[in-house]
Amino acid sequence: MSPVKVALAVAIAAPFASALWLGITVLLRDLRPSEREVRGIIGAGLLASVGASAFVLLSWLGALGAPATGDIAFGSWLRVGTYEIPGVARLDALSVTLSLLGALLTWLVARFSETYLHKEPGFSRFFVLLGVFATGLQLVSFAGALDVFFAGWEMLGISSAFFIGFFHERAEPIRSSVRAFTTYRLCDAGFLIAMVAVHEYLGSTRFAALDQSAGLTALQVNTIAALFLLAAMGKSAMLPFSGWLPRAMEGPTPSSALFYGALSIHMGLFLLLRIWSLLEVAPVVRGAAVVIGLATAVYGASVARTNTDAKGALAHATLAQVGLILAEIALGFTTIALVHIGCHALLRIFQYLRAPNAIHDAHRLGHARVVHAHQAARVEHGKWHRRWYVLSVHRLRLDDLLDAVVSPVLALARVLDRVDQRLRGKTTLPSALPTVREELTLGQVTQ
Amino acid sequence: MTANQFVALSVFLIGGIIFWMPRFAGHVRGFQDFALLHVLLMAVSLLAPHGSWAFVAVAATSALHAVSAFTISRTGAVWFVAAALASIAAAIGVHLGVPLLAFLGSSLAIALRVGLAPVHAGVSRLCERSPALQSQQLATAVFLLVAHLRYIDHSSVAYDVAAWLVRVGAILTLVPALVALVQRDLRGFYRAATVMHGGMLFAAMGAAGRGHTAAALMVMLTTAAAMTGLGLMVQALEERVGAVSLLDAGGRAHAFPKLAASFVIFAGAGVAMPGTAGFIADDLLLHALWEESVWGTATVILGSAVLAIAALSAFAKVFLGAAKRSVAPDLRRPERIAAVVLLLMLVWLGLTPGIVLTPADAFFRSPSALLSLG
Repeated sequence: MSPVKVALAVAIAAPFASALWLGITVLLRDLRPSEREVRGIIGAGLLASVGASAFVLLSWLGALGAPATGDIAFGSWLRVGTYEIPGVARLDALSVTLSLLGALLTWLVARFSETYLHKEPGFSRFFVLLGVFATGLQLVSFAGALDVFFAGWEMLGISSAFFIGFFHERAEPIRSSVRAFTTYRLCDAGFLIAMVAVHEYLGSTRFAALDQSAGLTALQVNTIAALFLLAAMGKSAMLPFSGWLPRAMEGPTPSSALFYGALSIHMGLFLLLRIWSLLEVAPVVRGAAVVIGLATAVYGASVARTNTDAKGALAHATLAQVGLILAEIALGFTTIALVHIGCHALLRIFQYLRAPNAIHDAHRLGHARVVHAHQAARVEHGKWHRRWYVLSVHRLRLDDLLDAVVSPVLALARVLDRVDQRLRGKTTLPSALPTVREELTLGQVTQ
Repeated sequence: MTANQFVALSVFLIGGIIFWMPRFAGHVRGFQDFALLHVLLMAVSLLAPHGSWAFVAVAATSALHAVSAFTISRTGAVWFVAAALASIAAAIGVHLGVPLLAFLGSSLAIALRVGLAPVHAGVSRLCERSPALQSQQLATAVFLLVAHLRYIDHSSVAYDVAAWLVRVGAILTLVPALVALVQRDLRGFYRAATVMHGGMLFAAMGAAGRGHTAAALMVMLTTAAAMTGLGLMVQALEERVGAVSLLDAGGRAHAFPKLAASFVIFAGAGVAMPGTAGFIADDLLLHALWEESVWGTATVILGSAVLAIAALSAFAKVFLGAAKRSVAPDLRRPERIAAVVLLLMLVWLGLTPGIVLTPADAFFRSPSALLSLG
């Protein structure tokens, strides 16, 4: 195996192995592992990932011999007959940039969190989730095929949902976590359908196969691109799926910084950059993406200016930039978009990590934001300003809108449940035996 | 060892380990589950020199489950008797060379054993009364499916009804997933999740009729392992705290952190969590389904997404919220070991699925005797 392959394997496997090791240690042992042990296990995995990512970058640049670029095959993840899940990594500017940026920021946030979460009850849980996130990020970065990309993509979604619900003794983080996960999973259905369609129409799920997208009919290419766009919209909180982002701020500040400031929020955009050869020949979807991007930017900027909590304002400011980057990608400025993503991630991670101190400064040191008289007067007297202000305060009532969509589905589920109960009632023998619940009085007492 | 023998051995070990875990965890005791007889019948179903003997062996496992279930749920027992009779019909069909009878008998037996709606009352009852026994019967159902794939799925009948099975299976994946969303107690969720997997397996069976046998095998193995893990956690929790409502936040993660972690991993593995066998099973299944029905594929994807949401929601309701104290202990050592064994199995199948699946198609295509006695 070549050194680049080893480095790629280490970049992906090291955080996964450390998370798995720590997880099994926690499960099997009677005593909780110490903070030092947790730091050691996950820290080693993350540091190995940083080193391996740096090595891959140097190899790609040609600093260690002939440049390593393009698809690097590891064989097949699975081969059954003619069907294959290719185990392939892709080395290009996109992958090496995201991989090193992601590995470095994750390691830095882990270091920051060692102090920030000292003596928190969920210390081990946080670091296991960080290991899962790092694995997902490296998979997404280096994936050379849609199946591998989707594995990483899902890991990011799962870890994100659990980070949001980290402080699970309060009701609001739990609700926010379920809401974010619901958005992710429903939008990811688009990714899955598109992935299977790509395999069927282009013969492979390799990203390289997307270069043949021009051979598809306009309907096929636009449908597949639209499904990918749907997945990207969910992950990057584009309109109308922006409602979960401010709620995601319920999680610990380090995870908010890493996910919604720096990395996870940009993953939808990364997906679109990755499938650019498909998107390029889907003008209808690109047009829609420009509109969605700009609308999200206006929405994010407006709400950020009316938000009264620091992390909420930051979340919407992030959204404004993410919307702009989507528009850049859709207009074809892919290099600018990649640079924009990198710079934006670095700025936001700093701002998020500094947010608690900023709040402290505002309250204790009198550095609160000043609202000028002419700004207040504009809102007070201008009819359109006032309306827009009210809409922004209510975040365009996006949550209500989505709830209105979900409510009929839940009503249908209740009807189906009743039908199911009747059906089971008619096909179940009358019981002469005690139910399990009646046998469990001892357990109920101990509760 | 030939490739076919290797696949058979792998299936035997995986099915056997899954079957043994409820016993190892201490949720099944004594001779209630006829464990050794079941293991023997599993081996017979794989090594039988003729398909009819394989179906007789799986019919015998159904009959044994009926005896085990009788003291727990009479409905479950009746269902197993019906499954045994259907398997016998399949055995007769295979013996006499009547593909239609063999296919109908085998499909009905599978539907009864995996809890396909609307013939899911038996499995539903077992889910509510004894998740451990339900887990064990799911493990032996693996061998029923293997017999179906080896001896029946090559027939023209299976080929002709494949598209129909995929569509029915897809709808019966989405409907129980929606039902799982609105359950009010934990066993209701477990029951709906089990029935949802039954629908998914039926869709996979349809795809297997057109040659995607590896997908069906992977879906069955994943379902058995993940739902066994989930069943063990449900039973472990209810042994400690009694019936678990989903109406209010339970706050049990503080008292049972290991149980909570195991619950979420097994629930996740059942809905295609990456890094586990569930991811590969879904991936394989979706590609197989697409060839039969695009809408069926989209329906299964939606069903899986909805069940994932229901699973997280159930987890949140059971374990999260203001901490509640309990004098009951977290998972005992045998329960933890059982959870880790199942987890490692799911991760192993998820990371290196090719070891079992790559030679599986050839195994199912050539249903010859695995042992040469001459």
